[in-house]
Amino acid sequence: MFAAKEKERPPKRSFAYIKNKIYRDRLYYLMFLPVAVMTILFYYLPMVGIRFAFYEYTPFKKEFVGLDNFKELFFGVMSKNFWRAFNNTLFLSIVNLILATIISVVLALLLNDLKSRKIRGGIQTILYLPHFMSWVVVSSIFLIILSPQGGFINNILGFFGTEPIYFMANKKWWVPVYLFICRWKDTGWGTIIYLAALTGLNPELYEAAEIDGAGKFKQALYVTLPGLMTTIITVFVLNLGKVLNIFESVFVLGNDQVKEVSDVISVMAYRIGMKGADYGMGTAIGLFKSVVGLVLVLITDEINKKIRGSSLL
Amino acid sequence: MMSEKMSFKAGYRSRTVFRLCNGVFMALIVLVVMIPLLKVLSDSLDKTTRYGINLWPQHFSIDAYKTIFTNKNLYTPFLISVLTTVVGTVLGLLITTFGAYVLNQPTLIGRKFFSKFIFITMIFNGGLVPTFLVLKGLGLTNTLGAVLLPASVNVFNMVLMRNFFSQIPNSLFESAEIDGCSPIRIFGQIVLPLSLPALASIGLFFAVQFWNEYFNYVMYITDTNLYNFQVKLRELVLNDQNMMDPSVVGFGNMVKNAAVIVAMLPFLFVYPFAQRYFISGVTLGAVKE
Repeated sequence: MFAAKEKERPPKRSFAYIKNKIYRDRLYYLMFLPVAVMTILFYYLPMVGIRFAFYEYTPFKKEFVGLDNFKELFFGVMSKNFWRAFNNTLFLSIVNLILATIISVVLALLLNDLKSRKIRGGIQTILYLPHFMSWVVVSSIFLIILSPQGGFINNILGFFGTEPIYFMANKKWWVPVYLFICRWKDTGWGTIIYLAALTGLNPELYEAAEIDGAGKFKQALYVTLPGLMTTIITVFVLNLGKVLNIFESVFVLGNDQVKEVSDVISVMAYRIGMKGADYGMGTAIGLFKSVVGLVLVLITDEINKKIRGSSLL
Repeated sequence: MMSEKMSFKAGYRSRTVFRLCNGVFMALIVLVVMIPLLKVLSDSLDKTTRYGINLWPQHFSIDAYKTIFTNKNLYTPFLISVLTTVVGTVLGLLITTFGAYVLNQPTLIGRKFFSKFIFITMIFNGGLVPTFLVLKGLGLTNTLGAVLLPASVNVFNMVLMRNFFSQIPNSLFESAEIDGCSPIRIFGQIVLPLSLPALASIGLFFAVQFWNEYFNYVMYITDTNLYNFQVKLRELVLNDQNMMDPSVVGFGNMVKNAAVIVAMLPFLFVYPFAQRYFISGVTLGAVKE
């Protein structure tokens, strides 16, 4: 019976075939419906709202002003804060990315060298833990510990007779402390991908290197690192496409006293667009971020294609 | 390699020195990760007016935890957290599996379009303010819907799920189809039971995401009765900082520390058992090639 049905089927690409096929697959379309509706509502409708970047739009006023918002942002009174936020965004995320790459690779190499599987598993469990904590929890832990009034670190410093330092409100301290907290949270998790790549390396290469008289350090330098290079570059390039995205970490760790070093683009968009209810300007800042971000993603994907021969988009 | 011993004899020396250094270094790293957590845990159980540099309670007391679970202002946010995590995870899994299943149908007309349609949202979006305006227009602001609905469409999780589905042999679907199974029955009776590990992984991702949610509350909700525990914790920590009054740095601090612990408590219970699912979720993403 099934064979007979096959014979009756009209040729592919004909209108009747397509109609028939869509009808037969109607339940799949039904299943996709909620996904499509929610994607349109929460992702595509906001894209329509991007036009407000060209409006003066507050709760009391809505008027088309062309490129005025961008003129103000790039060259006007606000430009000083805007470019400062732009520089801070790039500086904080790129330094963080470089640190993340170096520390995670080194940590992965060292973890990989632990002989006992049990100890290694235990250490990994502990190192992955902070990744799952929310930024609110992580920031709370460090705000408590670094507090100038009886915080753990200042108590230790006090033990050595040092005056308490208000780490989070001090421009000199904020950047290193922020970077440390970012690494504290995600370094362990970052090692997973390198550990996976390490298990894929050919053990014969190590044997050969050992016969040639290469010690542990030289093996790491001449066998392991070159073997990891593709993974390192891929991860690095992928994250390079996301440098403008830093938000929640700065939102919960930054404050007004250190705005000069901690203000980033997305926090600025929030402050002006949401808290200040200047919807037009907030959208304009967001649009700038999205467009630069998109360009970065496309460039990095192009680089990735060259390295791995496969696109990630 | 296996016969290698801890020995300072010539030939082994550099290796042994390396392994000792490595051990010390690992111990240091573990301490750096653990000490902040231990300090907070210890202070949450310490009924003292002055915290020192000790990592264990001086005057043991569980009063702070009692306060959290008896004070309505504190346990309501906790219940909101539990509720949104459960509902959000179920909703997220439904949307994710439906989407991934349809995207995994190789012959479906329009499949490529659907994929593009979904993936574009990953690289470009309207941004903060337009999203807020849309949610406001839909009447979702100041409801938990603003927190639950948009976040349950997670493209990254959908890609992971589809990668997992694509590993299920096609012949299984074909034979089921020949037997006259509807797509929804195939989905419910073949695909989902075969995907339990992936469902566990992605369910955990969603659970952590909804439990940790903070910013969407701040953005879209002004009714303080709807705030979850993360928002409450933030409020506790910031208020205490603003007060700068040494007299409240006693009990207040204890509650603050305990709130940090409670904010990660459910996760700490699950984590040791669920760790492998989290990690398999990461490696799922690598199957794509």
